[in-house]
Amino acid sequence: MSEVTRRELLKGGLSLATLISPSFAFKVMEPVVKVENPILYYPNRDWERFYRDIFRSESTFTFLCAPNDTHNCLLTACVKNGVVTRIEPTYKFGEATDIYGLKASHRWDPRCCNKGLALMRRFYGDRRVKGPMIRTGFYQWYKDGFPRDPKTGKPPEKYFQRGKDKFIKVTWDEVSDIIAKTMINIATTYSGEEGRKRLEAQGHYPKPMIDAMESAGTRTLKFRGSMPFLAVVRYTSPYRMANTMAILDSHIRGVGPDKALGGRGWDNYAFHTDLAPGHPMVSGQQNTDYDLCMWEYSKLNILWGMNPFTTKMPDCHWLTEARIKGSKVIVISNDYSPTARSADEVIIVRTGTDTALALSIAYVIMKEKLYQEKYVKSFTDMPLLVRMDNGKVLRARDIVPNYQPKELKKAVILKPGESFPPFFKQEKQYIPEAIRREDMNDFVVWDKRSDSPKVITRDDVGEDFWKLGIDPALEGTYRVKTVDGKEVEVKPLFQVYLEFFEKNYTPKQAEIITGVPSKKIEKLAREIASHPRNMKLSQGMGVNQYQHGDLKDRAMYMVCALTDNIGHATGNIGSYAGNFRLALFNGAPQYLAEDPFNVELDPNKPAKVKFYWKPESAHYYSHDDHPQYMGEHLLTGKTHLPTPTKFIWFVDANSTLGNAKWQYNIIMNTLPKIECIVTNEWWWSMTCEYSDIVLGVDAWNENKYWDIAGSVTNPFVYVWPKTGHRRMYDTKNDAETFALVANRLTELTGDERFRNYWKFAIEGKQDVVYVQRIINASSNLRGYKLEEIAKKAHKGIPSLIMTRTYPKYVGKDQTEEGMPWYTKSGRLEFYREEQEFMNAGENLPVYREPVDSTHYEPNVIVAKPHKLLKPKKPEDYGIKSEDALLSTEWRQARNVLVSPEHLPKTKHPLRVSFGASHIVHTPKYRHSAHTTTGDTDITVLLFGPFGDIYRHDKRMPFVSEAYIDINPKDLEKLGIKDGDYVWVDADPQDRPFVGWNKRPEDYEVGRLLIRARASNNTPTGCAKIWFNMYGSSHGSVMGTKKNPNGLAKNPQTGYQSLYRRGSHQTVTRGWLKPTYQTDTLIRKNLMGQVIGKGFELDVHSPIGAPREGFAKVTKAEDGGIGGKGVWRPLRLGFRPMAANEMLKKYIRAEYIK
Amino acid sequence: MAKAFNWQLKREVEYPYEAKRPKRQFAVVMDLNKCIACQTCTIACKTTWTPGRGQEYMLWNNVETKPWGFYPLGWDVRLLELLDGNKKNVFDAPEGERILGWKPDDMDWIHPNIGEDEVNDPVDIGTVLEILPHPIWMFYLPRICNHCTYPACVAACPRQAIYKREEDGIVLIDPERCEGYQECIKACPYKKTMFNFVARISQKCIGCFPRVEESLQPQCVITCIGKIRLMGFINPPEKARPENPIDFLVHVKKVALPLYPQTGIEPNVYYIPPINVPTKFLRQMFGDGAEHAVKTYMAMREGKEPELKALLHLFGSTPRIPHSFAVGPTEVIAFDEKGKEMVRVPFVEPLQFRPHKDERLEVVRQDIP
Repeated sequence: MSEVTRRELLKGGLSLATLISPSFAFKVMEPVVKVENPILYYPNRDWERFYRDIFRSESTFTFLCAPNDTHNCLLTACVKNGVVTRIEPTYKFGEATDIYGLKASHRWDPRCCNKGLALMRRFYGDRRVKGPMIRTGFYQWYKDGFPRDPKTGKPPEKYFQRGKDKFIKVTWDEVSDIIAKTMINIATTYSGEEGRKRLEAQGHYPKPMIDAMESAGTRTLKFRGSMPFLAVVRYTSPYRMANTMAILDSHIRGVGPDKALGGRGWDNYAFHTDLAPGHPMVSGQQNTDYDLCMWEYSKLNILWGMNPFTTKMPDCHWLTEARIKGSKVIVISNDYSPTARSADEVIIVRTGTDTALALSIAYVIMKEKLYQEKYVKSFTDMPLLVRMDNGKVLRARDIVPNYQPKELKKAVILKPGESFPPFFKQEKQYIPEAIRREDMNDFVVWDKRSDSPKVITRDDVGEDFWKLGIDPALEGTYRVKTVDGKEVEVKPLFQVYLEFFEKNYTPKQAEIITGVPSKKIEKLAREIASHPRNMKLSQGMGVNQYQHGDLKDRAMYMVCALTDNIGHATGNIGSYAGNFRLALFNGAPQYLAEDPFNVELDPNKPAKVKFYWKPESAHYYSHDDHPQYMGEHLLTGKTHLPTPTKFIWFVDANSTLGNAKWQYNIIMNTLPKIECIVTNEWWWSMTCEYSDIVLGVDAWNENKYWDIAGSVTNPFVYVWPKTGHRRMYDTKNDAETFALVANRLTELTGDERFRNYWKFAIEGKQDVVYVQRIINASSNLRGYKLEEIAKKAHKGIPSLIMTRTYPKYVGKDQTEEGMPWYTKSGRLEFYREEQEFMNAGENLPVYREPVDSTHYEPNVIVAKPHKLLKPKKPEDYGIKSEDALLSTEWRQARNVLVSPEHLPKTKHPLRVSFGASHIVHTPKYRHSAHTTTGDTDITVLLFGPFGDIYRHDKRMPFVSEAYIDINPKDLEKLGIKDGDYVWVDADPQDRPFVGWNKRPEDYEVGRLLIRARASNNTPTGCAKIWFNMYGSSHGSVMGTKKNPNGLAKNPQTGYQSLYRRGSHQTVTRGWLKPTYQTDTLIRKNLMGQVIGKGFELDVHSPIGAPREGFAKVTKAEDGGIGGKGVWRPLRLGFRPMAANEMLKKYIRAEYIK
Repeated sequence: MAKAFNWQLKREVEYPYEAKRPKRQFAVVMDLNKCIACQTCTIACKTTWTPGRGQEYMLWNNVETKPWGFYPLGWDVRLLELLDGNKKNVFDAPEGERILGWKPDDMDWIHPNIGEDEVNDPVDIGTVLEILPHPIWMFYLPRICNHCTYPACVAACPRQAIYKREEDGIVLIDPERCEGYQECIKACPYKKTMFNFVARISQKCIGCFPRVEESLQPQCVITCIGKIRLMGFINPPEKARPENPIDFLVHVKKVALPLYPQTGIEPNVYYIPPINVPTKFLRQMFGDGAEHAVKTYMAMREGKEPELKALLHLFGSTPRIPHSFAVGPTEVIAFDEKGKEMVRVPFVEPLQFRPHKDERLEVVRQDIP
């Protein structure tokens, strides 16, 4: 080919990729036309147009990228020939304003990330869900008229070969018919006495679970909104559907609106283990936090188990810019995290022992009297007197005969049946009378001035406390006369904590527990104490995802409270995970709980709200659809009790099946008990693999309706722009999918109420009616007009959420304005007097070992005996202590004390019996938001060291693959080389799933096979697998055998795994903790200012413990291509375990003098 | 061979063409203390320029972790070996060759993020790092073409298919003239020219010239959410304008340093070295200026370099090319070529308050709603 024709080809618009060069032999190397000086002048530059043409786009549109990563970026899509070719940040965040013109700055720009910019690889990817898809076996069950076993009601197994059947595409009409009839069939089957008998005959569900159904079959229908804060109509539609089910119940059971019951709705924030469970225990509300841009307000920033460099990427500049201005950053972590490289100090702690470290810091601050006395006395429970005889906090009624609680000015007391104003008009806290009378009965301090006990109320906090003219003792032991004539020893809680810590958590003892040198603990404590009102403690999931996440909150709050670092713009505590605070849009019940029997059909009027659906923790489903028992004793509180699960409808999330904790136990053992799983998705996830019906919905670039999204880490409210971009496939908006089924329910039952309930979604007005109603009823949105903020969003500009400050943060009301916290005492409470906490031995702030992720005896309370610690022992439940230790189920409620000094002499039982050597933790990484984008080719190419776009090694499941990080010294001991494949096996009694040894084909899917990486960042005995990759399904495993190229891709569905076998969820199980399931904890409701008790969705409920797993690691295959020899980079000496001399010289910087 | 003055080395090097500087020289400053290795730049570049066949492995912009990350494998270890540390430059070629270089094996390119996040030495439980620089360390090194003043690729190309644009100094490979001999790949000490084995030609970072021509910063800069990058035009030291942000950082404050300046080719990406890394390693990588740069950065953290502090807040705040900047008491301002204000940003995002009760809109605002 000549020069001329090549140039013509380029002009003709062909890509460079299509050019073929002539063979070398026919060419001379010298150019035909000489260039005099190519750094000065070049003659033929017309070709440059080639790149200008590539860059030019015909049009652009704005869309919202909203995976569950808390950011929500408005992005610009650049379009050529109707196809998105490139995605860019809008650079318009600096133009965001609120209703009154308050403005953000351009320091917010740019907002985007590696995952969002590659989204066109997904918009047009081969794993798009192309319409309504149905599993063939399920389709047959429907066509056969839902046959069931006459006794148990169970459908025949032949229809339920999930993960193995094919999927076929049906029409939207047919699929709505299938779903509607399935709902009717299941709800009917399990309603009433007949239903109860069937469930009993199935032999799995304990009586309390069946009782919890209250005879309504609709209560077995479970609905899960996916991170509702991300799209307040689209993603909360399942809850509205759950409310719709009350109409169905009224048909099936013939009951009226007074008795009808809707479906059950599953949790998000708590299910994802994002809820920091101790926050509500200490502060009475969901979570304390601040927008991450506020890092720069503080002189000291401690990131404790938080790794924002990979999880909060667009906000990291606020941290590095804080450093530019002199802020000191301390990273505390169980490994050297990516964020550690921008820290001034790094402290590496033994996994799961952070509570002990925090308690020891608190001890030093208390002991050395470095605390902020004024704050401690007026905002915490530390001056409150506790009874040493029964461990209860002393109440006025204990010492004052016929005590009547005082009137509260800062709260409204609700008499039974009394209603309260809508959330957006609530100025005070609302407390039910019974709670005020019993739980919140006034407290007592010891006044030093009068040397006598004094009664205080929950109003007496902050400045108001000092108006009482008393000075409460923090130390000392006192005696009071109780109304029953006894003399009781009492102590201020401060004194109790101090004495207790002195016995158990001195820096020397904490060094034994945590591995952190005692001198460093002292130094750190003093440093924190020297930053009153100027330190931020940012907690991440690295400290939360263990069994005792609540204890670490109680300890860390204490450190912050002692130093007056809560509720200030410059000093605060915050826990970061998930995007949870739907309460910021607390008008949401307008949509997700509109009264189905009293629907508002005037688009301009607000809806009437009535909850017919009942929230439930999905952790029971992931615990084999079962509550927690210790022997015969039910530990799950009655406010938490689950019902049997027979039908599930998920929207746009992979977390509750495909990437659920103990995923293979769910798949192999729990799913067979469930009769229908519907999943809405736009990308074929692992959840789709095991669903019965998959409804293809619009991808983000195809959005047709405005919706609103918010964030807990930034101050914006985002409107989902209507992109105007065409739908690639036969997809619908999520709300439409539910509306279609409701419409079909009307056709099947003749009841117009189903259809009317979804009227505005059916009419395509879901945004202007439902979203606007939510805005009007939300404390922090009211005043916005959807059309106006949408217009800005279309230009790439978000709006500001109208909390009390910009940026937003929690705690100002209390710390600066003297409002009580939402606790019994109105103060931050570190002591928990409730019986469940007493039974667990956790009434005092204690440290417990992880329940599985430890080399020592798991789950023990690390403390010496103490008068106030009276835990229920295994024997109290009729179980031998040793049996309770060995059984992972019972171990969770095994409350045994071990002293800090004795702890290292104990052993995890699997070390002895199984040869387990490594705890396995599964944090989140930068290349994927949970699993979203975890299989985008160009994104995961960069995920770790094994990415190879050409897959030279055909064993690779994809162009990259999962790996386990293990310290090089450990690998040497285990006879494993960097890059080898290894088996990772955790406790064989229940992992990967119960009964694996009898099911070899399923075991092959669930057992974890993964590459090992020698990791200097990981301490010995600790191993890490990033959380974000899609796991193996039956289909992907089949693919590794049947696909000629070896891809772990399901040949039938296209599902792509990044593991050959198993997943990171292989090593953990569904963990439950008794103190997360109390009926007695006082806390604010999820939304509004009303205070309640016991279970509350995403506030007080189980959170699981996905980083609890202790495993054995054994070599499976060599790392070289095709399993021959060692991995090439290792062979060439470019890896830590076999660095060549050049590389050693390089690292030591010896190439220069 | 002609004598070319290299201001980075403060001496002359031998260049095969007469040494002339372009009218303007493209330059990027990257603050390595702020890089989070998110790879947004890499993906922005990849999706914009190299999504085609034969380019699958190709990352004109890449981010690698030092010390264990390389793209291609071992590139700078090999470079230091070749240059005997800093004793030679790339023009010290053996007889019969134009440039002292080496050509990576195809397999050296296949794991583009090998070494991701890995530290030099193992940590253990109880490891405490409390004094900067840390004995255990790693950092991220984002890399694009350096658009060198005396490009080795230009010098090495037997077809004269590589040139430097006079208007902005961007170095380009003419795809029509390139025959795929890969001499540039062997020559570039930074390994930033790559072979498209479908088109059978070499390709490289084009400095996003279609953007630069529109006064816009490149894709990798405008998508940098770590806000570590600033693109502009650099002047030689004797013509430095202190109000030009690049000149200010490179010539006035001397906090931004070239990568392996001993190559002799005057690379034009300038790095603010990471303060957590031992100085010796930084000197090996960024030359003798490393110590001064780190000291200046630390002084800034103590409040002693107000202008530098201000300027670093400008990074990433505008997609347009800033030609000059000014510092106010609470803000920093960027100006375009004509001196028109483009953007101003505060050093601290101001805290602002709203009333609890908004009577007009009949609503109570809540921080704990």
